[in-house]
Amino acid sequence: MNPESKQALIDYLITMADDELILGHRNSEWCGHAPILEEDIAFANIALDEIGHAIVWYELAADLQGEEREAYANHMVYFRDVRDYRNTQLVELPKGDWAFTMLRQYLFDQFEMMRLEKLAQSSYAPFAEAATKIRTEEIYHLRHTQAWARRLGLGTEESHRRMQAALNDLWPYALALCEPSNRAELLTQGGYIPDSRALKTAWLEQVTAYLGEVGLAIPTDSSNLPLSRTHHTEHLGQLLSDLQQVARLDPMAKW
Amino acid sequence: MTDTHTRDTQWLRYMVLHQEREDKPHQHAGTVHAPDAEMALLNARDVFVRRPECVSLWVVRADLIFTCTQEELALHPDWIESLQPSGNPVEKYYFFAKLTQKGQFTHIGEVEAQNPTHALKIALQAYPDTHGFAWWVFPVKAVLKSTPDDIAVMFGPAAVKDFRDQANFHALSVLRKLMRKQEVEESHES
Repeated sequence: MNPESKQALIDYLITMADDELILGHRNSEWCGHAPILEEDIAFANIALDEIGHAIVWYELAADLQGEEREAYANHMVYFRDVRDYRNTQLVELPKGDWAFTMLRQYLFDQFEMMRLEKLAQSSYAPFAEAATKIRTEEIYHLRHTQAWARRLGLGTEESHRRMQAALNDLWPYALALCEPSNRAELLTQGGYIPDSRALKTAWLEQVTAYLGEVGLAIPTDSSNLPLSRTHHTEHLGQLLSDLQQVARLDPMAKW
Repeated sequence: MTDTHTRDTQWLRYMVLHQEREDKPHQHAGTVHAPDAEMALLNARDVFVRRPECVSLWVVRADLIFTCTQEELALHPDWIESLQPSGNPVEKYYFFAKLTQKGQFTHIGEVEAQNPTHALKIALQAYPDTHGFAWWVFPVKAVLKSTPDDIAVMFGPAAVKDFRDQANFHALSVLRKLMRKQEVEESHES
């Protein structure tokens, strides 16, 4: 792997890890507050899975740089500032109501699932191996969020209204999730990652069909926000202060 | 009935039956609430298959299970004998028994019967060695089951999540070490 590809791959892994970390943290905010006990357990479980996936991607990025895995992941999670995070804005938005949370998770899971299927054939073997493993969990996440999306979309008038409102709000952010990252083309040419455009097309087709099936309409007039992974909403700062405050009290503490 | 229905916002209660290994019978794991069977199966996975081994999971609506205890039978010794086939179409029923005081309801077998009480009568005759303390019968068709394809996806990941095992968290041993260190320091000071 040439140095340029290597750096691009590290950057790509960090975007994936940051997405999973921030979404996992947002989801963890439901712990103790989900609509019913069973869902509380299920969703905390999903939150943990996402954070687990983030660690896998940080560790792959550490390996590529010859860094020690745990120290690197800890640094990336606890000691970076807002401007250094590369997650997409979709995952940092406040958790909203249950419809908003479920729909965001569905849109993310569907993208993640399709991307992992392709990454399982990555020419970088450790990437392919990790993707294969994570995919098994992601199948279950998708099943869970699809089940909720269907029941809320086709449920009561109120659940439908909330889902449609969530979709209208989330849609521009979801589109940004699929935008190619820096030097994605270079990585695609090397067979490291799937082609971003083809992936976006496949994702669009899939979610449009499924959301239609559950009674939701994709907004047609949503503005195309210039959403980049280097710009964040004010919500990320608040999230990071929660996430990082204990670790930063005593950076040298051993846990 | 209608009144309770409109007032009660609880979801339906489902019994969860799990199988730890291919060579073991399904056993009662607990209860979940869910709006329907598919959600019950997902909830059952999340609540009951986080650590233990599992190869198969069933859910059945609690109100579709006919239950009977040894005491009830003893109070009405003639009841079971008096039961007659009802003339309904014959269907398959699962027969579960609670064999020991501490044990869970365990899958014993299946019988064909025209209704739940009829199924119980036939089952008690068909499985005379497995009477135990209490019994469940419910129609086979009332059960939603995980499929063999679900094993890897629904149950596989839990097996490797050792971060959920408290033995992997060393807080206690670290704390003991710190306390020992403090004791040594204090004894040096004095």
